[in-house]
Amino acid sequence: MKIFITDGGSDSFFTAVFEAYNQSECAITSNNQIQMSFDSQIIYVAADQRKSARVQRGISKYDDRAIGDILLVLRSGDNMKEQIAYEYIRRILERKTPINKAYNIPEVIIFNELKEKVTGEIHNMKGFMRFMESGNGAYYAPYAPDHDITDLLMPHFARRFSNEKFVIHDVRRKIAGIYDGHDWVIGYAGEAEVYLSEYEKAFQTLWKMYYNSVNIKERPHEKQMKGYMPVRYWKFMPEKN
Amino acid sequence: MIDERKLEILTESAKYDVSCSSSGSKRKNTSDGLGNASVGGICHSFTPDGRCISLLKILMSNECLYDCEYCPNRRSADVPRARLTPDEICELTVNFYKRNYIEGLFLSSAVFDAPDKTMELLCETVTKLRKTYNFNGYIHLKGIPNADSALMMRAAKIADRMSYNIELPSEKSLKLLAPQKSKQSLLLPMRELKEAMDYDRINKVRKNRVLPAGQTTQMIIGASPESDGKILKLTESLYRNMNLKRVYYSSYIPVVKSPKLPTVGVGLLREHRLYQADWLIRFYGFDVDEICGEDENLSADYDPKCAWALKNMQLFPVEINSAPLAMLLRVPGIGAKGAYKICEARKFGKLDFDNLAKMRIILKRAKHFITCKGKFYGSDSLAQVKTSLLLEGTEQSRVQLSMFSDLSTSLSVLTGEL
Repeated sequence: MKIFITDGGSDSFFTAVFEAYNQSECAITSNNQIQMSFDSQIIYVAADQRKSARVQRGISKYDDRAIGDILLVLRSGDNMKEQIAYEYIRRILERKTPINKAYNIPEVIIFNELKEKVTGEIHNMKGFMRFMESGNGAYYAPYAPDHDITDLLMPHFARRFSNEKFVIHDVRRKIAGIYDGHDWVIGYAGEAEVYLSEYEKAFQTLWKMYYNSVNIKERPHEKQMKGYMPVRYWKFMPEKN
Repeated sequence: MIDERKLEILTESAKYDVSCSSSGSKRKNTSDGLGNASVGGICHSFTPDGRCISLLKILMSNECLYDCEYCPNRRSADVPRARLTPDEICELTVNFYKRNYIEGLFLSSAVFDAPDKTMELLCETVTKLRKTYNFNGYIHLKGIPNADSALMMRAAKIADRMSYNIELPSEKSLKLLAPQKSKQSLLLPMRELKEAMDYDRINKVRKNRVLPAGQTTQMIIGASPESDGKILKLTESLYRNMNLKRVYYSSYIPVVKSPKLPTVGVGLLREHRLYQADWLIRFYGFDVDEICGEDENLSADYDPKCAWALKNMQLFPVEINSAPLAMLLRVPGIGAKGAYKICEARKFGKLDFDNLAKMRIILKRAKHFITCKGKFYGSDSLAQVKTSLLLEGTEQSRVQLSMFSDLSTSLSVLTGEL
């Protein structure tokens, strides 16, 4: 079996789709640590703009929304994301029609579920992101999302806090979205040292007080709380620390 | 900086207001402003009771002139009192908002002064928040009954949503338990706001619209003797005649001792069943009369859709591959999302039970009411169908009941608003 290993970028992925398409048995992944069977053959795929564009045109011919969905899935933290997107592309090219609502095809359900995990985390983070005011008045929000979504969150917060300066820091991927009050950029960001403003602790305390008071103790339903707000997100939320 | 103890008192008093949603408004930020509204609503946190925090939900004051029988903040109650100034409320909202703790403000108050005076101060607060603090996030404002209608209209142009709580499901109960509030003092403002919203819609008003996120209301279940059928009839008429976005129910908990009030609370199960029926009315095309007779209560054993289906077995089973959407929506175990998915998926090919399972249809329930490609896997005898649905139901209600037992021993208050 041939295993195509991409560099994690979307052009490399679409190039791999181009190379893999006529293979009878193959897999695509960006994961170097993949478990291999004795007969597998490894092929590293470098991005080829021409091949990538050709594949994307081929897909768009049948479904002009598919590329957007595929790019969302490629942001996932799931190791199988390339393979899942590849299977989805194969079904589109076989059927020559949009299949995003063909819930009778198992690969479509798997693809949609992965896409919804990414869009779901974007939605969750619009709520669960926590900013702290730093000494110089800028706001800083560290978080560790499952999926690579920082650039998709920036427009939301830039509209909302259009006159503030803020930084959203994905500490897992070591990247940050930086907004200066006008425009935003994404850049590398390792460790960050933040000096908090003199009021920050007081507002965090008030927030914790609010959180504890608004809860109805006599109706405990921890399971539901954890279902809606997974424990792995709590690390950055003052009310849970 | 705002006093912690004050915040605690005014939050404790506000938390029994069920509504916390921040949806329905598309308010945009201004060039020098802070915030906007997200039409789908955003939950910012979840408390250990499983509820979402979307808005900063507080009372301006819990000092009350009224003496509503069921309310822990009623005039005659001996509880700590507090009041916040408009600036304190604005500061807190803006600072919580900038840290992304909240989506906006839900401001309510006890009637601490004449209704006009109280409403005026609420109005001043939200005006200040919009104009002085340039806040464009979500604002839900509670209406004060018996306040001047000009004040109400002023507030309605600033807030995204308002609510007048009808409190109790009949005029008679309202008279008995909340004598200072009349049916008119609650329904008239609701009607007037509805007409103002209709005017905006018909005339395609875009700027400074009245309540872009509409109105909601809330009533207490079980403090008075009304049947589920009566409550649902009222709910339906509020949706149809007042165009409300939501009707919220809150189960009665006996915390205030009074000869006019029952000594036992109602379980969360009753509240849950009412919400299920409410959903059937709004999203599944049911009429109240189909679900519950005027003087009847909803079944505790089956959810209202199952109960309806069991009474109408002659309509089933329906074929998944050909039944119209309206009928799919009536099959127990198929939700609204599931029904739409089935309609989309069957354009691509005939569906079998395996497909349905992958689409997360609850086959344990649905199998008695459907066929796939003509095949039926349910039970032929009505008695057996009932038993199997009942077994499934008790698994669910056991959870409900354990919550209820915690509840009945609780010292918590019932409803903090007004």
